[in-house]
Amino acid sequence: MALSSNVRGNNANATVAQRLQKELMDLMLHPTPGVSAFPSDENMSTWTATIEGPDNTPYSDLTFKLTFDFPANYPYAPPVVLFKTPVYHPNVDFSGRICLDILKDKWSAVYNIGTVLLSLQSLLGEPNNSSPLNGQAAELWDKDPAEYKRLVLARHKAPEELDG
Amino acid sequence: MDHSTLVFASVFPVLSLSHTTPTPVATPILGYTALGSSFGSPYTGKNIEGQGQEHRAVKRGQAWSCATRFLSLPKDTSILPRLHRTRDVEEALSYLLIGEGRSEDGKEDSLVEWYTNECRLHFANHVRPDLEQMWRAEVQLQHAWDLLGETLRVFEQVQTVYLEPFHEHILPFVQQGASASTLRPSKPTQIIEADLADATNWKFRTDIHAVFAHCLPGQRYSNTLSYVLYDAGCRLFRIYIQQDGLQPSSTPEVTADCRKRMTALLVGLERVGLGGDNAQKAFAHATNKLLDSFITSHYLKVDWYSKQSIVPHLRAWIQKGFCPLVELVLECLRCEQSSILPTEVASWQEMGLNRLGRARVDNLFDFVMNWDKSLGAVLDIKEYLKVAGAKQNLTSSFSQQISRRLLHPGATTTYVLNVYILIIRSFHVLEPKGVLLERVARPIRRYLKEREDTARIIISSLLTDLSDDTGTKFSSNSELSFEIASEMAKPFANFGQEADDELNYGDMNWQPLPQDASPEYKKSKVEDVIWFLLTLWEREDFINELKNIYGDHLLRCQDPEYEKEIRLLELIKVRLGDDKLQACEVMLRDVLDSKRINASIRATTTSTLPAFQTPDSRTRGPQTPEAFQLRTPRPRRPGASASKTATSTASPTPPPDTTLNAQILSSFFWPSLRDDTFRVPLQIDQLQKEYESRFERIKGMRKLCWMNALGEGSITLEFDDRTEDFDHLTPWQVSVVYAFQPQPGEEHIAKKKGKGGEGISRNVDQLEEMLEMDESLVRQALAFWVGKSVLREISPSTYTVIESLPRKSSQLQADEDAAAAAEELAAVQAAQTTTVKSQMDVLNEKKDVYAAFIMGMLTNQGNMPASRIAMMMRMMVQGGFPFGVEEVKGLLTDMEGSGKVIGLGGDVWGVKK
Repeated sequence: MALSSNVRGNNANATVAQRLQKELMDLMLHPTPGVSAFPSDENMSTWTATIEGPDNTPYSDLTFKLTFDFPANYPYAPPVVLFKTPVYHPNVDFSGRICLDILKDKWSAVYNIGTVLLSLQSLLGEPNNSSPLNGQAAELWDKDPAEYKRLVLARHKAPEELDG
Repeated sequence: MDHSTLVFASVFPVLSLSHTTPTPVATPILGYTALGSSFGSPYTGKNIEGQGQEHRAVKRGQAWSCATRFLSLPKDTSILPRLHRTRDVEEALSYLLIGEGRSEDGKEDSLVEWYTNECRLHFANHVRPDLEQMWRAEVQLQHAWDLLGETLRVFEQVQTVYLEPFHEHILPFVQQGASASTLRPSKPTQIIEADLADATNWKFRTDIHAVFAHCLPGQRYSNTLSYVLYDAGCRLFRIYIQQDGLQPSSTPEVTADCRKRMTALLVGLERVGLGGDNAQKAFAHATNKLLDSFITSHYLKVDWYSKQSIVPHLRAWIQKGFCPLVELVLECLRCEQSSILPTEVASWQEMGLNRLGRARVDNLFDFVMNWDKSLGAVLDIKEYLKVAGAKQNLTSSFSQQISRRLLHPGATTTYVLNVYILIIRSFHVLEPKGVLLERVARPIRRYLKEREDTARIIISSLLTDLSDDTGTKFSSNSELSFEIASEMAKPFANFGQEADDELNYGDMNWQPLPQDASPEYKKSKVEDVIWFLLTLWEREDFINELKNIYGDHLLRCQDPEYEKEIRLLELIKVRLGDDKLQACEVMLRDVLDSKRINASIRATTTSTLPAFQTPDSRTRGPQTPEAFQLRTPRPRRPGASASKTATSTASPTPPPDTTLNAQILSSFFWPSLRDDTFRVPLQIDQLQKEYESRFERIKGMRKLCWMNALGEGSITLEFDDRTEDFDHLTPWQVSVVYAFQPQPGEEHIAKKKGKGGEGISRNVDQLEEMLEMDESLVRQALAFWVGKSVLREISPSTYTVIESLPRKSSQLQADEDAAAAAEELAAVQAAQTTTVKSQMDVLNEKKDVYAAFIMGMLTNQGNMPASRIAMMMRMMVQGGFPFGVEEVKGLLTDMEGSGKVIGLGGDVWGVKK
């Protein structure tokens, strides 16, 4: 019995890996400027992604690193996405957790890494201030863009600093 | 008596040496007056006992002298002295042996001991030197019999000489004494006394035998005896063995003589005390060797003719031949146990089987190579496998043989495959359960996986037709394996229910797995060689490879019905499962459909289009291709919905005008194919356009994309003095030769004949431009035509048509030489040309994708060394990344050139900011 359940487990992993491999191939064949992602290890269940802050926002010219952690039943459950780069944003808390509906209850199997990354990129420019994780940021976003920008830059770290 | 003994005796009195003095004590010491008693006093009567002692000593000394003189042995043993006891002697003997002079408590010498000693001395002085001489040197095998015989003779003679006096003059007295004492009433002593004579006799013999045995070099003696027994065994069983250059006796002795001789020798040896443990050990050695010899003898040669096991022979021999011999010898040596128990026979048989098996296993590789004829040997080994430890021995020994003789770079893959198939077949007979096969085949399978051409050879062999020109195709170093092809020709049973047998509770024939099976063991119920070959790889890898080869094969296939291809696909589907082979099925359907489409298109073509005719003006130079065959698969998607592409191929029956047959391939399912682009001759181009329009009419919305490089054509060339037909040409060859057709405005050149019968000439650059073709292809085609004596290189890179073959011999010679050289070159180039893309092509084509991968990797994972990049690529790229670190470095260098990445030194690369 142990054997057969093991086999099933492997099959599930294999399916996830296949799907992720396909997504990787798509990302590589049709790269989207400003976002990028790549598996961190051979089993493909964790990825590292990079997004560039959108222009004309406080985040422009900044680069953010994220991690994707795919559950065994992906794509029927959303990946766990975290910002690795500290980011000052109404919908991101200080440990990098993100409040975004498509990563929670609005997840659908048709989303993929590319769409999630694009959504996150647009979230940077258009925060959802009605349900903030970071209340101060939500307030400052409208009230004091200059202070907001200062806090964003103060909090941001370059990827090189992170690596160290 | 030698000097040293005398010297020794002068210092340490050796009583037994003293018999030479007639009266050992010249003046008997009658005792001394005790301290305090008066000399010669009448009271000396107290000392009567002591005096009695002294008198006895004197008397004993005299008797001793007499007896020893009588019993002393003569120097020459050959004449046996007949001694008659005189009265004196009789008395002396009687006195010493059973009378008062008998040594009571070992304080005095007993006569028996003296005699024993006398014999020893005699032996040492007179017999031993000769014997030592005989045994000093290494014994030559051919002299072993004689030596033993001679030794035996000497011993027997000496023994007779020693025993004769003992029996005649000593034993009777001892017996007499013993019988006299039996009168005594006490029972326990009676028995002891009765045995005394026997004991004396036994002791004397033992002593003598010990002397005999001691004088021979023990090891040498037992070796010799062992050889003699072995030799006797060989002769008895007529086992002829070339040994140490020793010629076997040309005339076989009569077995009975031999047996008699051996028996006599053994009995004799036993009699002089050389039997016993030593002889038994020697015999044990001899039997050991005899068994080995028998196993290597002609009796147990592999049965190549009737292909039977010879194990029954071996068992019968052990029971009916070997056992009686052992019994006979044991009887001669008077062993305690002279009959042989059935369990012993069984264990000997097992022993014999074990040795036979080992001998066979040592040559198993040869038997496998000669499989079918070597069935007998394999059956022997099969018997042997029942012996404990046999499987381990077989596995290790055979694995060794394989790694030494098969898995080396010198063996071609075809050869390894053929041997593997033979191993499968022979091991199936050897052990139908397949556990052993699985074990010994593991290294072969691993090795075959490493070879790049394995899959290609297997699949192309499977596709080979056995019936045509078999002899030429399957040479040992060819790319095709006859064994595989003939396996393919066998009908295959319906099997391959890969349902999990373990969980099928209704299976009444269920049996547990063999206990020695390894975890990877899978039951293979059928002896199915192809199954073993197809399971060499992971299914996915194999199918990928299959797709490439199958596609190539379909494109080259000449059989309009695709019979073999259909069969192969079915066969593989049975073994690998339907679902995985969808691509192959589509490929097969494509070519079959193409035939139908061709037919319908041709039907419309012939009715609407007048046959394409070459303009009459072009009578010189290469003629219009008569039947142009082109096939070109195309994996490009021109429109969103169009997944079809096209190729052209020729109809087998060339109609008078040019025909074009296409193969329409679904690009998505085919492996990536050659897509060199170049211009095809005008006629073909027109035909292609025509075909395309008709195709689009039939299959609405589908677009065709021609792959010119993949076709095949037949043309007829008309020269001034000759006409030649060429079949199976590649399209670029056709195009190149067609380019030598005079262009409009060039007719005057054609008319003005060159003095060497030369026609139009062109150089490589011109051709490249005219045909929009790669230089390498142009040159390849030119080399081909030079090889066919159609073109001639008049100056570097410039070629001309040989319109009329030269008559001058020098020119002819030069042409022929050039043709031969070019033909060779063309052959080499043709061999490198395949319809499916080479690895380098793949690398170049996918460069962008790979670059994207590397960029993604470096962007997200930070800087990395090239080796790690290569590793990640192998893991991440879908469809595999068949390249190594070197190629990755090449890619990185390219990317550095275009400013995307930057080398950080130490082989580490990062994204350029």
